[in-house]
Amino acid sequence: MDLGQFLSIFISSVFIYNVILSRFLGLCSFIAVSKETKPALSMGLAVLFVISMSSIITWLIYTYLLIPFNITYLRTISFILVIAAFVQLLEILIRKFTPGLYKVFGIYLPLITCNCAVFGVAVLNSDMFFVNNKAVPGSFMYSLFQGICVSIGYTLAMLLMSGIRERLELCSIPKSVKEFPLAFIIASLMGLAFMGFNGFKF
Amino acid sequence: MAEKQQNRCFQEFIKGLIRENPTFVLALGLCPTLAVSTSVSNAIGMGLASTFVLIGSNLIVSLIKKQIPEEIRIPCYIVIIATFVTVVELIMKAYSPALNRALGIYVPLIVVNCIVLGRAEAFASKRTFVHSFMDALGMGIGFTLALMLISIIREFFGFGKIINYPVFYNFHPALVIGMPAGALLVIGLLLGFFNIIKQKK
Amino acid sequence: MQNRLKVSVSPHIHKPVSISKIMWSVNLSLIPAGIAGAIIFGFSALWITVISLITAVTTEAVIQKLTNKKISVKDGSAFLTGLLLAYNLSPSVPLWIPVVGSFFSIAIGKMIFGGLGQNIFNPALAGRAFLMASWPSYMTSFTGPLKFDAVTSATPLALLKEGKPLGDVSYMDLFLGLRGGCIGEVCIIALLIGAAYLLFRGYINWQIPFTFILTVGLFTWICGPRGFLTGDGIFHVLSGGLILGAFFMATDYVTSPLTINGQIIFAFGCGLLTAIIRLWGGYPEGVSYAILIMNAATPIIDRFTKTRVYGTVRY
Repeated sequence: MDLGQFLSIFISSVFIYNVILSRFLGLCSFIAVSKETKPALSMGLAVLFVISMSSIITWLIYTYLLIPFNITYLRTISFILVIAAFVQLLEILIRKFTPGLYKVFGIYLPLITCNCAVFGVAVLNSDMFFVNNKAVPGSFMYSLFQGICVSIGYTLAMLLMSGIRERLELCSIPKSVKEFPLAFIIASLMGLAFMGFNGFKF
Repeated sequence: MAEKQQNRCFQEFIKGLIRENPTFVLALGLCPTLAVSTSVSNAIGMGLASTFVLIGSNLIVSLIKKQIPEEIRIPCYIVIIATFVTVVELIMKAYSPALNRALGIYVPLIVVNCIVLGRAEAFASKRTFVHSFMDALGMGIGFTLALMLISIIREFFGFGKIINYPVFYNFHPALVIGMPAGALLVIGLLLGFFNIIKQKK
Repeated sequence: MQNRLKVSVSPHIHKPVSISKIMWSVNLSLIPAGIAGAIIFGFSALWITVISLITAVTTEAVIQKLTNKKISVKDGSAFLTGLLLAYNLSPSVPLWIPVVGSFFSIAIGKMIFGGLGQNIFNPALAGRAFLMASWPSYMTSFTGPLKFDAVTSATPLALLKEGKPLGDVSYMDLFLGLRGGCIGEVCIIALLIGAAYLLFRGYINWQIPFTFILTVGLFTWICGPRGFLTGDGIFHVLSGGLILGAFFMATDYVTSPLTINGQIIFAFGCGLLTAIIRLWGGYPEGVSYAILIMNAATPIIDRFTKTRVYGTVRY
């Protein structure tokens, strides 16, 4: 296991190939939940939990179930089922222990299931850390770490966006672009800014 | 009474087109929208495939909603949706392999299209069979129309083409429009434009 | 006892008079760099600048007219955006590029946020990023200095990125602007004259440019091509758009943090990102992207470095 590899995973997942601003996954929640900082951070935390757990389980399934039985084409559906199960578990927990938070999330909590970022990370892990259907040495730790870093990148993007939108609350935005249109345009400009990271080579 | 019911059905259909358009109003299903709206033919194909899955899953969910225990409803919905997605995938592979190649991984990703899961959760699990069908039809067509609108703009400004035919010579398209950042810009501007129209009314 | 202490947190109400004085002073301070650009690159540089200015001002006026707002182009901020955008363009771009870019800068970079004081991103840089993503081939072809023959040549940073030998570009060449590059970025001494004027008048603070430039110089020196401390920091400081960006774009009040601490963090971030993109990124120059990214971070930086209003709860 290579420290350089961990560093490279951290920097590329959080900054260079940021899951929202460079890969453009997970946008539904990005546009919808990033209006204020507290929900944005809560969403980031929820996503962190879901992605980390699903990274572990999808890795296990891929290594011990799909590859040995040669059914890797079932990757999509098995990964999604795992993610769905975890989101359901999370929802049960949140509803029981912090019902206020549950109200804040509304419909967007079950939508973490279809958050492309979560599914995307699972697929990315199985593409990056498996060569010729064999696990690269250390691939479990790399997969878990990548999942955590992607969530950090997600939370970072949410934080930036919520800061911007909170500040714009105090400004007199033209009525026609208030809320969603401006959110999309800000996301577009942030995406343009993050294009500076294209073509990175360590 | 029958007329009121008919009206109600129609309302459920119409709302998916404009008032609650999944792309422009609910901001759902953005990932495939960004990726697939680079050409009109892809947009139509994706829209129709998603509509099929949406209708199928909404119908089944509303039929068996009483049987699904609430604690595990999301994985159940996923199984139902995945079944329809597989059907669509196989049909597409058989009858239009070119479209299947063009849409790539976004066909299986219809499973995680927020619109499909979102409507199953928010609507079909609570309403009748007929209303769920209308809702799915409206949402699906609304999604398809939104995709078409966005892709017409993006294909023209980003690639200088319409349905793969180059429009002008010496036209330097703005490449960024063909990229995700450009797609977000187009959607944002379209939304603003729709708002202006709404305000004028 | 009269309460002479005014404690207030942003946003502050802008008084148009003082804004316009500041804006026009900045415009004035940028003139030397423009003249230098015209001398070094010829008439095309002049036309590009003029067209960019006209488009910017016209766009703002038209949008304000259409939305029934007071036309405020006299305050000089649209002029500044047009000027800065032109200075960030290669002298060999076709003339419709500054038109599209300027329009984008004002319409999307500024007006859609509600106008002056409310934009998050530096409008000129937003326009430049848009142009760069849309027409990269036009935006990255440069001509050599003092050669008015439209033969393309690479900028020093581009040569560095491709690992090619730099030829005989000396520090003095870089300082005077005798190199390929964007219209307003090449002549360091002209830029410094303008910057000195602004610093003297107190219209920009020294912390941001100082931190920004120091960070780039140190980082590129430390992470040198042949190991630790073998980098050419001075070369990096004098190349690309660093001086233009650090003194005239990173210091923009609207898009940088309010407190000194926040500004230092901001400038440090800009410097770090610039150096990282220059050293390891795909583009030879990172100043504009670095500033744009830090612009996005400014509201969050403000949130965590704001002076606490007495009596309120800490977050």
